Amino acid sequence: MVTTIGILTAIAFLFGVLIYLVNRFVPTKVKGIEKTEEITGILPGLNCGACGWPGCFGYAQSLAANPGSISDCKCAVVLQDAERVSQMEKALGISIDASALGKKALIHCNGNSEVIYDYSGAMTCKAATQLLKGYKKCPYACPGLGDCVEVCPQKAISILLDKMVAVIDTEKCAGCGLCIAECPQNLIELVPTGTKIAFLCNYGSLRDIPGREKCDAGCIRCRKCVRACEDGAVEWNKETFLPEFDMEKCSLCLKCTEVCEPNTLADFAKVKTAPPVLLAKFSL
Amino acid sequence: MNELIAIFLSMALINNFVLARFLGLCPFFGVSKKLGNALSMGMAVTFVMTFAAIVTWLINNRVLVPFGVEYMQIVIYILVIASLVQIVELFIKRTNAALYNAFGIYLPLITTNCAVLGITLINTREAYSLLASVVAALGAGLGFTLVLAIMSGIREKLEIADSPRSMKGLPVAMLVAVLLGLTFFGFGGIV
Repeated sequence: MVTTIGILTAIAFLFGVLIYLVNRFVPTKVKGIEKTEEITGILPGLNCGACGWPGCFGYAQSLAANPGSISDCKCAVVLQDAERVSQMEKALGISIDASALGKKALIHCNGNSEVIYDYSGAMTCKAATQLLKGYKKCPYACPGLGDCVEVCPQKAISILLDKMVAVIDTEKCAGCGLCIAECPQNLIELVPTGTKIAFLCNYGSLRDIPGREKCDAGCIRCRKCVRACEDGAVEWNKETFLPEFDMEKCSLCLKCTEVCEPNTLADFAKVKTAPPVLLAKFSL
Repeated sequence: MNELIAIFLSMALINNFVLARFLGLCPFFGVSKKLGNALSMGMAVTFVMTFAAIVTWLINNRVLVPFGVEYMQIVIYILVIASLVQIVELFIKRTNAALYNAFGIYLPLITTNCAVLGITLINTREAYSLLASVVAALGAGLGFTLVLAIMSGIREKLEIADSPRSMKGLPVAMLVAVLLGLTFFGFGGIV
């Protein structure tokens, strides 16, 4: 008994000392690795893989070898953080235009759809949408059971319990896109960071389901947004029966969001300020 | 000499770690999407296995057996392998950038891999000599690399193949693994 404890302690102690000695006395001067390590320090360390490299370290390696590649494969966490961007500029020796590069996830549903039956099955969106396309009146609505909440490495997604809809905190969102594959309703899309107007409806190109019949907050095809826009940035797409936004003409006046009666159009900046009600998975 | 060759072949092909002993299945599916990654992973596993075989043989025969605490094998092996791999990783990182780029990312991943712990426990169970342990570990590592390379080669082709939607990705990889396992069954009669 005492021997066992003694041997185990001795071996653990020995290796502890060994690790310390190696860490302390092996010289750190290695060409190439230093810069990679510096860049790794700036990266968020989430290892989400959105940049296409195996983890943050792999991304740092590629940046160290070719600084210009930051415009091809980018890390949204870095681009949103002014301090990180300036550190990165210093480390890479190039200037970075952050606002032109980043992306954010947006959920195309504002969740006001009426509930048509009590769902008490497995509490995942994937199961809930198998039954009559979900328990809400709109067959394209967010079921709000949090499949996307679970995968988010940034914990940026929360569920609004009164509407049962997922909301993404755009400040926390890193734009990794992991949630896109999780959503059985295909509601989530990556939009550029500079986007001002959020279209919170997922009727898409389906003409046969006029908004009013299905949902209190869906697009009712009133075209007020087209008329309200003074810059001619909103156009009506006659194929899909949906408004389209030309962000280059848009002067960010947000008049279209004010006239939208069902509040399908919203200020993208205000989407994020919706109060997070719940952060973790829950059961009803 | 014949015995060593028999051990090597047995570890590499007949009792292949992935397909016959079902050890190291996590990297078998996780890192077998690209041939380059699979080879790096295989190299790292071979290296760590050989290294661990030597160290655990020494610990077992010089410390555990004389003091009569063989029943602590698993605990002590895990401790020893994990900390040694950390040391080696640190060492490689600071001395050889090319080597670190080749398998630096995979080293910390396999510190607690069951295939690595498996080879050391099998060596101890079979009471191999130091040389035989090293040969067994090399065989096991190379066999692992071989299977990972074959698997990644097939999966690279499967990626562009027209498979049914529900079978894409992991399900079809599982089927491929079954067929691979059956083919490796054919080595059964060699030794």
